[in-house]
Amino acid sequence: MSTRNENPSGAAEPMIGATGLTKQYGRSQALRGASVTLRAGEILAVTGASGSGKSTLLHCLAGIVRPDEGEVSYGRERLDRASENRLSELRRTDFGVVFQFGQLIPELTVRDNVMLPLLLAGTDRAAAQDRADEWLERFGVRGQAALRPGELSGGQGQRVALARAWVTGPKAVFADEPTGALDSLAGEQVMTALVHAARESGAAVLLITHDAQIAAYADREVWLRDGAVHSGATPFAVQEAAHHEG
Amino acid sequence: MRADARIAWNLARGSDRREWWRIALTAVGALLATVFALAAITVASVRGQVSIPFGQGLLNQPGERSGVVVALLLLLIPVLGLLGQCARIGAVHRDRRMAGLRLAGASPAQVRRISALESAPACLAGSAGGLGAVAVALAVQGHTPPATAWVAFVVVVLGVPVAGALVSVLALRRVVASPLGEVRRVRPERGSRTLLVLSVAALPIAVGAYALVVRGSSPAAASFPMLVFGLVFLTGAGAVWTAGSSAAHIGRRLAESAKSPAVMIAAGRLRDDPWAAARTHATLLLVTVVGIAFVGVREVVLADLRGKGIHTPEGIAFYTTGIDLTGAAILVAFAISLFGLAVGTAESLATRRRGLAAQTAAGVPHTVLARATLLETALPLAPAVLLATIGGMAVHLAYTAVAAPGTVPSVLPLLVPVAVYAASLLAAATSLPLLRRMAHPAELRFA
Amino acid sequence: MSTRHILLGLLAGSPCHGYDLKRRYDELFPQARPLAYGQVYTTLQRLVRDDLAAVEGTDSDGGPERTLYRSTDRGADELAAWAQGVTPPAPFVTNEIFAKVVISLLVAGTEGGDRTAEAAMYLQAQRAAHMVRMHELTGLKTTPGADLSTVLSADYALAHLDADVRWMATTATRLTTLTAEVDAV
Repeated sequence: MSTRNENPSGAAEPMIGATGLTKQYGRSQALRGASVTLRAGEILAVTGASGSGKSTLLHCLAGIVRPDEGEVSYGRERLDRASENRLSELRRTDFGVVFQFGQLIPELTVRDNVMLPLLLAGTDRAAAQDRADEWLERFGVRGQAALRPGELSGGQGQRVALARAWVTGPKAVFADEPTGALDSLAGEQVMTALVHAARESGAAVLLITHDAQIAAYADREVWLRDGAVHSGATPFAVQEAAHHEG
Repeated sequence: MRADARIAWNLARGSDRREWWRIALTAVGALLATVFALAAITVASVRGQVSIPFGQGLLNQPGERSGVVVALLLLLIPVLGLLGQCARIGAVHRDRRMAGLRLAGASPAQVRRISALESAPACLAGSAGGLGAVAVALAVQGHTPPATAWVAFVVVVLGVPVAGALVSVLALRRVVASPLGEVRRVRPERGSRTLLVLSVAALPIAVGAYALVVRGSSPAAASFPMLVFGLVFLTGAGAVWTAGSSAAHIGRRLAESAKSPAVMIAAGRLRDDPWAAARTHATLLLVTVVGIAFVGVREVVLADLRGKGIHTPEGIAFYTTGIDLTGAAILVAFAISLFGLAVGTAESLATRRRGLAAQTAAGVPHTVLARATLLETALPLAPAVLLATIGGMAVHLAYTAVAAPGTVPSVLPLLVPVAVYAASLLAAATSLPLLRRMAHPAELRFA
Repeated sequence: MSTRHILLGLLAGSPCHGYDLKRRYDELFPQARPLAYGQVYTTLQRLVRDDLAAVEGTDSDGGPERTLYRSTDRGADELAAWAQGVTPPAPFVTNEIFAKVVISLLVAGTEGGDRTAEAAMYLQAQRAAHMVRMHELTGLKTTPGADLSTVLSADYALAHLDADVRWMATTATRLTTLTAEVDAV
């Protein structure tokens, strides 16, 4: 693909690395020894059936939850040991998150929602507003800036969520089934917007999906089964790797 | 009917913790309502001049007794407010469940019966508990009310669950009419409907209390209580209205100019549902007006007593006991209102748990969410309390002018709104530990 | 795909040379198996034989001599009947992947290896290959300026590959039962 960085074969350095992650919720074991690396600037798809631990893996890598065992490192930092405040700060500044739904505050306008991370970072209101509008424009939802999230279509809502994730210039964006609630055409628009934003900004993307058509947008794929990596990172661009067994 | 009862039981058994909280709080509200009603009946059933060893002989005279009855009746208003808050806990979830039953083929009558069967037992447990508490208190005091009072007791104890069932059936109107719409509804009720229901319920109580106060007095003598009642209710209603309309105004203004994220979030919520604050603060504001007026009147009465040269301890005690008991009643009303406020804040957090968890996951600091929650209470309450203060002070000034012309009005009542405001923020702050739980990323696992 | 009907359709508008037919075919159906010149000319000759097309004439246009073809009335009727006719939806289920799974369960069984594990490995490799192709197609259709024909062709293939991937995922979880069934036959 001409717009993509040709880095999926492993030239870029690891940005977030996780090894031997386990996580238990009550009686259910969400992760059992999962290891994965997210490299700078790549789009990595994590696929698997529902209940395979995909979301929990994303939560661990994004510093949203702490694994019971295992290590998560971001550069030289150990996320599994970082303080709650530091994790919160990282999620605010270095990371962006997009969920299937629910990440926009329903009472705020689209513009206010996108401005929020900037205001949290101490940007003044006028500058924040300009930046928010700029990102809304890039994702094609500038015209909806004054609406509330409830007044948007599903695809528009997700593009606003992408704008909110990208507005702070993150190094990594974590997207958990960003098209899960959309029809295929809206899903395609959201994914196209996501890929373009990732390429332009150079941010790495961890993309959780159960849908092969969505995973095909990524550079590499990791396949989870029963909380562990079943088929190790398959780079799509290298033909031999297609026959690699996990 | 037995099938309906079984469904209702199964629904209750399979409910989450939140539903049990609602049942428990509803039972507490029903208990309080029953206790106040039964106490009012007990006192009202005493005839003529008697000697009751309670509160410095406060209950000896029919005149003072009717005052106690009025106070007890008026206490029902904050209890109603509390019950209104309790009814909102998990309302969306409950409505959806009933709508689901409708879609699964239940007839409207069946859904109404199931819903009634769900709420009546909680109310019955509360009212039965209330009867027990009053019976124990009567036994300790060694007082046996007449047979007519017992009949009235039974009517109240059975009436509370019937009223609870009726209210829940009424609340189901939309679910019964268009179940599909309710299944899709994801947000709790908004607007001022609950307020209207509350005032419709509170008005007869107030009118009844007024009728008791002026019973047997001349039209001229009845005019001052009329003025007081009128002022209190007008100011109360005005304060509630102020809370709503100022929330809309403040919300709009601040949402457009807020520089701090917490203010922006709070302002957005105020703009979105301005009546939310009015709903949770309604009885609190009413109590504030009464409280300010009371403190003012108390100052005048005490000054008057000192002026008249009543110095015997018994003489002073007779008056102060009455006044102190009134003060205690107001404090009880205040406590119930604050409890309602805390319940309302907690409910609002619980409803938004997934959204809050998503904000935390996106790195919105806990302190920002906590500040926004407190601002949501603080912002609309300020102008409303100000209006309540003006109303309460008007009553105080009017009373001073009538009872002690020429004296300088006290400024002590002005402490009341400050205390109310601080206590309200504290009550809202009690839900902050809950926020920490609700905004936890683990909530993301549940859609 | 019926090459014969597609060429007939391309001739319907105006007379055409074989060379132009091939060029237009490749434009309209990107990502399809490319049409060979030889195939174009044999197909045209058969159309003329069956009286569905006719030779309009020849011109040289300065270069080598080229034959110009046109559609006949019979050809137009035949084309209309084909274009309006419903394509039979999967009259026979032909699934090469499934055939390979079943046969490898049978064959490996005679050799005494772990048939189920081998079939699972095959499915996994096949899935990976599918994903690589899906990634390519996704790249094609999201390239800025991609024309709609390319996008729609890619979409068609993606949807079918996606169906395969889903089928492989469910099959992989049911291999043990399938092994037992194959043995029982």
